[in-house]
Amino acid sequence: MNADFGRVMLVVLFALIPIAGIALGMRAPALRSKIPLLVAFFAGLIPIFSMYIPKRFLSGDGGMSPRLDEWLIIVAGFALLLGITNVISNSYRKISRKERNWPYAIVLLVGLFTMGGFGIYGAVSHQGTGFLPDGSPTPFRWVETTVFQPLQSTIFALLAFFMASAAFRAFRARNTEATILLIAGAIVMIGRVPLIEFLAAPFPALQPAAASAGQFMGKATEWIMDVPNGAAQSGILIGAALGAASMAIRVILGIERGYLGLGKGE
Amino acid sequence: MQAFFHRLLALDRRWIFLLVLISVTTPILVPIGLPVTTTSSTRNAFEYVEALKPGDLVWLSFDYGPSSAPENDPMAEAFLRQCFTKKVRVIITALYPLGGLGLANQAVAKVAAEFPEAKYGVDYINLGYKDGAAAVMRSLGQDITSAFPTDVNGRPVSEFPIMEGLRTIRQVQLVFTAATGLIGEYWITQVHAQFGTDVIIGPTAVSAPKYYAFINAGQLIGMLGGMKGAAEYEKLLAAKHEPLGKFYRSTADFTATKGMDGQTVLHGVILALIVMGNLAFFLTRGKKAGAA
Repeated sequence: MNADFGRVMLVVLFALIPIAGIALGMRAPALRSKIPLLVAFFAGLIPIFSMYIPKRFLSGDGGMSPRLDEWLIIVAGFALLLGITNVISNSYRKISRKERNWPYAIVLLVGLFTMGGFGIYGAVSHQGTGFLPDGSPTPFRWVETTVFQPLQSTIFALLAFFMASAAFRAFRARNTEATILLIAGAIVMIGRVPLIEFLAAPFPALQPAAASAGQFMGKATEWIMDVPNGAAQSGILIGAALGAASMAIRVILGIERGYLGLGKGE
Repeated sequence: MQAFFHRLLALDRRWIFLLVLISVTTPILVPIGLPVTTTSSTRNAFEYVEALKPGDLVWLSFDYGPSSAPENDPMAEAFLRQCFTKKVRVIITALYPLGGLGLANQAVAKVAAEFPEAKYGVDYINLGYKDGAAAVMRSLGQDITSAFPTDVNGRPVSEFPIMEGLRTIRQVQLVFTAATGLIGEYWITQVHAQFGTDVIIGPTAVSAPKYYAFINAGQLIGMLGGMKGAAEYEKLLAAKHEPLGKFYRSTADFTATKGMDGQTVLHGVILALIVMGNLAFFLTRGKKAGAA
């Protein structure tokens, strides 16, 4: 079986069956939820089988699994479009009903259409979204550099202020667990930066001792990050991966149907 | 004394904000030049790139936005400088939707200007942005041109000598991802685990702890954790390559090494705040309990 077989199978599984399902679903509502389940079943199984069965129609060049990967990119593009449609419809509803904070929805839409418009203009005019041949920025690039980048940086930078305030008010050694966390946090904060050397800078006699202490704290930090943190992170990752695998099996087998977004009674 | 601690606990948080502002801006205006010590994860990453030969191919992905640019920009730029110095060829992409491409264009233009001998399309190429990070990575294992048929300027990639004979990411020696969020992890799970290409990651300090598990498992060559990791990389670069050492000592631009001054002072301030907050809390609580 070659790649052509895989291509035919993809057309059958992901085009003919869904089209037939839509046509039949108009007459028999019970079928509406069955066909998407079938599509999810095959879309889930093909990449898994391609890992274990080294057949050309499955995992070779132009096989079913690589083609599904390409389709994924296209589906992701549609997801972006869906997101934009959602933002527009939600914002429009907010503005038309004059809901709470509705002026912000106008700002959101203006930003969306301005950047989107400049981006589309860049694509249509073949200018792109970078720089013009004379070195000056395109409109998209100009807005990105002068508005978007500073705004994003500012929002993230505010974290430092809130973290300092929260550390002062909430980071208390109330019990054993909190005390361990506080001590480990303090060691990492000291070990990640040359704080001891900085504090010892005005006292030349203390500097060699400060350098040794700084190195010790650096090693203690590396140990904390490598051993207790590394072990905990491995546990979290393995647990999350097992959870994702079990959820994937539930979706493939049609046990988990929340993603279908069906209303009551269907 | 008790009254002082009570007043301390009721301190208006705007005073704390002012303290943070002063402690961050002062070292930027008056650099201190504090020493930077290196960690094994950064050294491993650096040594791996140093061992690459001229003409080898690496992949640099800008998987972050302006929010973490002060941390990620210096590491991506340092990596690019090292590659250009060693004549290692670089393929550049951006997979982060919120401004990743803009930052990639900016960093590439900046570093390329420092290396006029590096030719676009021969020594490096910018393939631009593509939506759907994990899906894009999977397709890179089959056919790079199906995911990136053109470069960032819309020219077919087949026009460029750097892409000659390059079909999949398996042929690339190394992926370096400067990343925020999940995209960095995808390079490990979707590219290293499935196609075997080595990966070095430059995450933000907030997400760095997660990647120690991948380092311990041997799935990551190395890591540049946050601004500290970037500063370590700059130090290693400056020590190994004299022209880059001269550059990092004289540049007026922002570097991670300069940023570490502000971070050090701020860590000191936050630690002092934590100590004072705990002291005030326990001393005033003891008094209340005694009174009761």
